[in-house]
Amino acid sequence: MMPVSMRLRGLFVFWLALSAWGAPPPEGRQIWSFRPLMKTEPGKTIDSLLASGSAAAAAKLTLMRRAYFDLTGLPPTESEARAFLADAAPDAYARLIERLLASPRYGEHWGRHWLDVARYADSTGADEDHRYPHAWRYRDYVIDAFNRDLPYDQFVREQIAGDLLPAEDGASVNARGIVATGFLALGPKLIAEQDKVKMFYDIVDEQIDVTGKAFLGLTIACARCHDHKFDPILTTDYYALASIFASTKQLAKLEGTVSELYVSPLVDKPAAEAWLGYKKKVADKQKEIDEVVGRESARYRETLAPRLADYMMAAWEKRSNAAGLDPAVLEKWVKYLEPGQDRRPQLEAFQNAADKAAAARQYQTQFLAAMEARKDKSRKFQAGDDRFYSDVAGGPFGLPKEKRGAEAATLEAELKKLKDAQPADPPLACGVAEGDPVEQRVFVRGNPESKGEAVSKRFPIVLAGRDQAPITTGSGRRELAEWVASPRNPLTARVMVNRIWQWHFGEGIVKTPSNFGVLGARPTHPELLDFLAAKFIESGWSVKAMHRLIMSSAAYRQHRGNGRRLQVEEMRDALLTIDGSLDPAMGGTTQSGVGTDKEFSDDRKTQDPDRSTRRLVYLPLRRSNLPSLLNLFDFGDATTSCEGRPSSNVAPQALFMMNGPFVEARARGLVARLTGSDAERIEQAHWRVLSRPASASELRDGLNYVAHFPGARELAWTSFARSLMASNEFLYVH
Amino acid sequence: MPFLSRRAMLRQTACGFGLMGLSGLMAASSGESREPHFTPRAKRVIFLFMHGGPAHMDTFDPKPLLTRDHGKPLPFKRPLTFAEGQTGSLFKSPWEFKQHGQSGLPISELFPWVAKRADDLCVVRSMVGDSVAHGGAVLQLHTGSNTFTRPAMGAWFVYGLGTENRNLPSYITIKPGLSHGGAKNWSSGFLPAQFQGTAIGHGGVSIDELKQPIEHLRNTGLTPEQQRYELDMIQKQNRAHRERFQSDPELDARIQAFELAFRMQTEAPESFDLGRESDATRKLYGMDEAATRDFGWQCLMARRLAERGVRFIQINHEYGPGNEVGWDAHSELIRLHTKTARMVDRPIYGLLTDLKSRGMLDDTLVCWSGEFGRTPISQAGDGRDHNPYGYSMWMAGGGVKAGFAYGATDDYGYYAVENRMHIHDLHATMLHLCGMDHKRLTYFHGGRHHRLTDVAGEVATKVLA
Repeated sequence: MMPVSMRLRGLFVFWLALSAWGAPPPEGRQIWSFRPLMKTEPGKTIDSLLASGSAAAAAKLTLMRRAYFDLTGLPPTESEARAFLADAAPDAYARLIERLLASPRYGEHWGRHWLDVARYADSTGADEDHRYPHAWRYRDYVIDAFNRDLPYDQFVREQIAGDLLPAEDGASVNARGIVATGFLALGPKLIAEQDKVKMFYDIVDEQIDVTGKAFLGLTIACARCHDHKFDPILTTDYYALASIFASTKQLAKLEGTVSELYVSPLVDKPAAEAWLGYKKKVADKQKEIDEVVGRESARYRETLAPRLADYMMAAWEKRSNAAGLDPAVLEKWVKYLEPGQDRRPQLEAFQNAADKAAAARQYQTQFLAAMEARKDKSRKFQAGDDRFYSDVAGGPFGLPKEKRGAEAATLEAELKKLKDAQPADPPLACGVAEGDPVEQRVFVRGNPESKGEAVSKRFPIVLAGRDQAPITTGSGRRELAEWVASPRNPLTARVMVNRIWQWHFGEGIVKTPSNFGVLGARPTHPELLDFLAAKFIESGWSVKAMHRLIMSSAAYRQHRGNGRRLQVEEMRDALLTIDGSLDPAMGGTTQSGVGTDKEFSDDRKTQDPDRSTRRLVYLPLRRSNLPSLLNLFDFGDATTSCEGRPSSNVAPQALFMMNGPFVEARARGLVARLTGSDAERIEQAHWRVLSRPASASELRDGLNYVAHFPGARELAWTSFARSLMASNEFLYVH
Repeated sequence: MPFLSRRAMLRQTACGFGLMGLSGLMAASSGESREPHFTPRAKRVIFLFMHGGPAHMDTFDPKPLLTRDHGKPLPFKRPLTFAEGQTGSLFKSPWEFKQHGQSGLPISELFPWVAKRADDLCVVRSMVGDSVAHGGAVLQLHTGSNTFTRPAMGAWFVYGLGTENRNLPSYITIKPGLSHGGAKNWSSGFLPAQFQGTAIGHGGVSIDELKQPIEHLRNTGLTPEQQRYELDMIQKQNRAHRERFQSDPELDARIQAFELAFRMQTEAPESFDLGRESDATRKLYGMDEAATRDFGWQCLMARRLAERGVRFIQINHEYGPGNEVGWDAHSELIRLHTKTARMVDRPIYGLLTDLKSRGMLDDTLVCWSGEFGRTPISQAGDGRDHNPYGYSMWMAGGGVKAGFAYGATDDYGYYAVENRMHIHDLHATMLHLCGMDHKRLTYFHGGRHHRLTDVAGEVATKVLA
């Protein structure tokens, strides 16, 4: 019987043949999002294009809270809120928006939105979950880009090919640009995959996927194994792009059981080479030491080996002062022969022997033979070939450090000197660089073993046409960056303004923000989408200009029935704001070291958000071990580009509010900050948690609550504060 | 389209831990009935995951020719291995096999206790996976895919089965490991978050260090009376807030979620309290001995949770302090496998025996598997390398043939050659036993319908009782 997989494959090939035969060329299959932007009649506005009618405007404080959370992800302080309420000037709202856009908190919040799209994390996830110790620089770059309103087209260019662009300040190294390529570099990787070709093309595929979805709203990666089933993207389009990323440096070393991640030094070439040169010098010195110690160890072992049986017997009989035996060595033998919980087959012949002395002699004979055999350097031995020999050579008969000879000591001193004088590592980034050019072929059904036609570097035909300027030098990332970031590319501006709209209104004009293809949703208001995209380009790709435009519309300012649940970062950071404990420090890493973690180290777990007062965006994200708080509140998985977070509603979220030590600490913190009479304290608590005054009935209820709480007064206040924090009104923005 | 977006669905439904299964979901969306696809044989699954990969030729798949040809080179081309350059010649099993029970199922002396339950086991000797490294292999066993991030099998099961106990999570994993995919192995992936696994403790952390089985289940500062008083205030505020924003059903849902949480915290702790078990029961699971105490605790916890309607329970034997590399014996096979088998053998016997005596084995599917097996050739002289090309797992209870061996590897145990059972096939078979057709258990995401078994999987009908 033919195996299932073979039969399936047969069917699949048949189906492929059919679809290739039936599919028209891509140019004939234009879809709405590929057409040039529509011109909008002059005088149109968001509101006229939405034709949304005239719903009531939101109350002043409701709108204020909305603007604060939407732009900064944080609530206003009590005094900010009171001041805004008191500000009767007609431009009070416009000034508020300007103030929020100028706040560094803005970039932290909007940067986080983009980090979702960029599937940002600080580790490889997948199998070994190795750290990306420098990924935080990319996160900081993104936050800074939003804060400085870096034109979006430049933002796109830098993330695809920043390492190939000149530095803005004329410096010899474009550090910002290199850091920006973290977008490509920090994806999930299976670096312990043993099929290295597959692994490499999985990395390439992941980059095509994130680039396509993030900037173009296209699921190009679907064309890896066959022409895209729904969109006019061909397998040849896919491999043309693959050849660009395959010609990009992704790893420091592909070979080996676990491939080595590449890091980009943020210094010029001579400095980088000097740094690597010094590292090699240190490594060479260590190697030299190892060789010398290896020789000394062999000599030491040889002097002891002829008395192995004596050591064994003395140790067995626990004679600590046996004649002619080294007491220190004997002590190690005693330890080694002590019976333990574990089975040690290499000792069983001795343990079970009736005549121990004879057995010990037998062990000695074998040991000497094994030692002799290992002098033949052409033969390769492994530890388990003779476990007793390896145990003893590395254990009781191992050369103690204090018995090393003068040669080793001299070398050790030299190494120490070298290390003492070693210059600090230059700043490093998690980025990509130009790699060796690859002659790319189509992989039939995605299988690298099955090579099809050769492809040259180019962009998808349906979008870029057949007459494309050939890419002859370099990886082609620079050309790709220019093509994506071009105002003539119909997708790039549309996709981004739609994301901005979605992050303001909860839903995009296109409800599938990362899929503008056939299977994606159609825009509910196509003219509005194009109007915004045109404005975006006109404004010099200014994201902040988009905020001004959107937030000044009546549509944005109207009363909203449906609330938006705060994202996990907003909720947690807001709670820290409420009790005044949020640490405003920006940027940097909160982890130490740069190495990959040990398998069982605590660093495997992400840092606990309960124990930090930094904004959540600054805590490292271990893909395989996100903090439970993030899983609880729909953070997503930081593994594929995330176009929008769901908003689930489960009992464990309520448990977090009711019982979590973090919320309790915030409640206590808030109570400690309340001053004055009971009524004043209740009023302040409402301002701080809900950004509004307490109503008369709420005041009454609050007073009642603390007065009749079945317990101590202090506990009553904490409980009251927590009840506000756990309320829907806190958790939702309307 | 006949489905709700994840967002829309979550907005419209009030739910506790996995309150909705396929049932609720389908009822809410396309109007399909909440019945299973066909009569289920098992109501729940207990999956014993042996992280690291136990060697099948040393446990459940005797290979006399391997013993005969010990020390000779492998007589066919060696496939891709994990530890290139360290593998050697054919390496016989250091353990004897004996036939056990009425069925005469051969089991090695590594599992003297499990062997007493031979007549309950359905050993599959022809498992196949696609990854030679742990990361991909563990992910594939748990999610069906060795590359992409997909929902864990447990999430698929509870998505399909729904819940039997609203006060407990329907998918619980006990002491899972943080390496080789970590939380990806019990995540809900693109399925709604309420289907994600809830972890009790972590691999490498002793049960003595476990303060609360589930986070935030206990309030340390308030009496139940005080907490009810507080909750009444929260709900009063919530009702007033809802009146101002009447159109939002999500607000209602959250009001209910708080009530559910309040009930859970009073009822759930009893489920996790092993102190309520008799000494005899604790002893049955080996909790009276240091070597078996932790795994015994995990197995007994699984039984308590199974009794209380938890649908998918995973018990993990992990790498970690005290366990060293667990089953992953690249060297020192004898020492490591002896030690690891001893940790799990008696507790597993206890679990099977206890389930049977309580009449629960009939509708509980128990599975035992690593992410792969090990090579019949040596590594580092006295160990074995990874082998996804042919290995063993077993099932018990829940509608599988008992005292039965299915499939076979070649003479040495390298490749599965008869009745090959790919991980997809295992998933399809497990779903089938729980009354679900793996081809019909789908979820629409990213433009297409997804399945646990992707585009593959065949039910191994010969293992069905």
